[in-house]
Amino acid sequence: MELYLRRRFVNSIVLTLSLVATIVGLIWLAAILWTLLSNGLAALSFDLFTQTTPPPGSQGGLINAIYGSVIMTLIGTLVGTPVGILAGTFLAEYGRSSRLSDVIRFINDILLSAPSIIVGLFVYEIMVIRMGHFSAWAGAMALAILVIPVVLRTTEDMLKLIPDALREAAAALGTPKWRIVTMICYRAAIQGLLTGVMLAVARISGETAPLLFTALNNQFMSTNLNGPMANLPVVIFQFAMSPYHDWQTLAWAGALLITFVILVLNISARIIANWSRVNQ
Amino acid sequence: MTDIAAKSLQIDGQSSGWGRGQNLADWAFKVTTLVFAVVVLLLLGGVIVALTDGALPALRHFGWGFVTSEAWNPVTENFGARAPMYGTLVTSAIAMLIGIPLSFGIAVFITELCPPWLKRPIGIAIELLAGIPSIIYGIWGLFVLAPVLQSTLQPLLISTLGELPFIGPLFAGPPLGIGVLTAGLILAIMVLPYITSVMRDVFETVPPMLKESAYGLGCTTSEVVWNVVVPYTRIGIVGGVMLGLGRALGETMAVTFVIGNAHRIRESLLAPGTTISAALANEFTEAVGDLYLSSLIALGFILFVITFIVLSLAKLLLIRLQRQAGT
Amino acid sequence: MMSDSSSPALDSRVANSPGTTPPRPMLRTTIGTATAMAGPKAEPSPVRIEIKNLKFYYKKYEALKGISLPIYDKRVTAFIGPSGCGKSTLLRVLNRIYQLYPDQSASGEVSFDGKNLLDPKLDLNLLRAKIGMVFQKPTPFPMSIYDNIAFGVRLYEKLPQSEMDGRVEQALRRAALWEEVKNKLKQSGLGLSGGQQQRLCIARAIAIQPEVLLLDEPASALDPISTLKVEELISELKNDYCIALVTHNMQQAARAADYTAFMYLGELIEFDETQVIFTNPSKKQTEDYVTGRFG
Repeated sequence: MELYLRRRFVNSIVLTLSLVATIVGLIWLAAILWTLLSNGLAALSFDLFTQTTPPPGSQGGLINAIYGSVIMTLIGTLVGTPVGILAGTFLAEYGRSSRLSDVIRFINDILLSAPSIIVGLFVYEIMVIRMGHFSAWAGAMALAILVIPVVLRTTEDMLKLIPDALREAAAALGTPKWRIVTMICYRAAIQGLLTGVMLAVARISGETAPLLFTALNNQFMSTNLNGPMANLPVVIFQFAMSPYHDWQTLAWAGALLITFVILVLNISARIIANWSRVNQ
Repeated sequence: MTDIAAKSLQIDGQSSGWGRGQNLADWAFKVTTLVFAVVVLLLLGGVIVALTDGALPALRHFGWGFVTSEAWNPVTENFGARAPMYGTLVTSAIAMLIGIPLSFGIAVFITELCPPWLKRPIGIAIELLAGIPSIIYGIWGLFVLAPVLQSTLQPLLISTLGELPFIGPLFAGPPLGIGVLTAGLILAIMVLPYITSVMRDVFETVPPMLKESAYGLGCTTSEVVWNVVVPYTRIGIVGGVMLGLGRALGETMAVTFVIGNAHRIRESLLAPGTTISAALANEFTEAVGDLYLSSLIALGFILFVITFIVLSLAKLLLIRLQRQAGT
Repeated sequence: MMSDSSSPALDSRVANSPGTTPPRPMLRTTIGTATAMAGPKAEPSPVRIEIKNLKFYYKKYEALKGISLPIYDKRVTAFIGPSGCGKSTLLRVLNRIYQLYPDQSASGEVSFDGKNLLDPKLDLNLLRAKIGMVFQKPTPFPMSIYDNIAFGVRLYEKLPQSEMDGRVEQALRRAALWEEVKNKLKQSGLGLSGGQQQRLCIARAIAIQPEVLLLDEPASALDPISTLKVEELISELKNDYCIALVTHNMQQAARAADYTAFMYLGELIEFDETQVIFTNPSKKQTEDYVTGRFG
């Protein structure tokens, strides 16, 4: 009986600990979101969207940073998405069991989790040094490199979900392979592909490290893609680390903006994924 | 009758013009997708080549001493990777020490204890945690966690654990708030969602019948977890842990804010230090001098090698688990 | 049901000597006035597809061990047999759909309109324009009902809108689906019931005006009422097409087919008019199967 009681005791300890762990995890999340909301909301104002980043000690906004982030995210997504989709198509449609695709899949998963600062270094070496200056193009390319593994992975997974019966039915009509893929498979997987792109965008929206030495930063509003361009993450980095209160306030506002956008993207991606499941 | 039916099937080498056009399109599409797939390989190759190229001057100049030297003096141009490497490894170790038990606990909770209606919300919460960009963790760490630690936990540690014989020196020194320990804590929170997701997915591959037979013998939940679930999934657990480790090693922004940026190795965990990624983030844009720049790139190269090895091992382990599970 | 004389049955018994693939010409010439349960046909029917010593391999495994038989035009030929006997495999050779999978290969000769279907130089897409297939599970494409039908037609022809409308309507009418969907042509094909989806797939296959139809257990995933509709469809369609039907439902073969081939473990055990197979088979194995003693 004593053994049994001891077992019961151990069991309740373990289960309590796991409950505690979950609560601790949730508390972290709540604490971070709470701080973000309270500091960020206090810093929100219309000026954010109308004024550029100020010198220390004065008021200003974030419009140049917002513009830069939007432009570079857009270009990065536009460049990275086709690469990811076509590469994922190859793995799913043409290379299901070849050695080459095994290697590519392996490498892709490593790139997926690789430190993003390394990507920044890489683009610095091949673009910034070559061009002789920092540029928004370099920043966008760094972001594109981060987009590719995400989109490739989801594309391959989504295409593999499509039953072969559908492909066979199209083949039986005499449809050539490339049409089966583009007109049948892509159509069937469209929601999954879209979700993948949105998740990729959510990921690169918050990335700071790859932009640190590619796009750098710019105190002024610039639309010149060939020069350094302001962007939200690097601005937040610079302002938050500084001792100036005005700058820190702006940093919180920027942080709230980024987190908000990312959460919206994640939730939308989830909704799209569920909506497609409901519609089947 | 359609045009097609009117044409007879061609058996000789030349198919009809229509057919040949489609064959060309098929070939072109396949080649295009192949080319873009190979781009992924080229990216990795490019990274290796570019980093090696940039790091070579420093590595040649310092030789093996680069890895063992703790110096970091931009004025005398004497650089060494020891302090950043130490910081990277120690912060990641702290992150794993704290993060693994927590993730394990959460994964156990989700799969064994949690009422069904709570599973999805908690799963979503975990994913939200993973989606928050690291810079947010960084500023939260700087403005919230560090002051809290400075006023509560760190004095406590200094006065209690700091007095003990062996591990005392680990907790010595003034409570600065920032430092290696704080960075490790932030990293722990950051890798928590990744390790938890992998563990949860891996736990769910255990066939219910296996668990039921253990319960049927009268095992308690903790005994089922310890004796059935964990042995069945241990490869996956290791894989998930290594995935988290890979992320922790390379994490930049969260660490940069709270590590203190000091190129020195101190015994105390409460002292400031630096990691490879933090050094890069803080110093790269202001580095003057080719040797300084090359040394920083060499740091990046070392980081790349370490994370590549860790992530490859993680991937190989996870592949083995997939094969075992039959997926 | 009239049988001309006893000679067809006798000949087929002689032709079907155990263990070997029987010589075909004898059967072909005497079958002239053969009748099947599905209805009498007065004129003789030419052979549309002639299979000679067909072997099929999944990697090294020999799934079809040298099959030879004729498939007659404007008739329904059913393939029956227990699971794994190779009937679906055989069907999938006829439009070379197996070619999608690199591990699968075939050898032998399959004559169609004077050409060998197994020739590697054959244009597969054109082949599949002439030999269409309907699969076991309904597989509507992710597009509207109209586009499902038009998709196949657009592969081969450029038709003005009005003509395309006509083709779509014609196909849907022939598949006995027009009345049910004529007002919702723009809706997704996925919104139809199982039986309707399968008839949509049949309409899609006949829209490109093939000459042969391969039906791989077309009703096995459907409820009894839809199954009946599909079987009625088959008996109408055979007036214009050469139909090969794989079914695990013997009664369906007895109802719908003019000729039946019984297969077992990759071999053709017996091939004859349906009536003969079900009432007076010459092989004991066939008799055991149709009477339900095994399988």
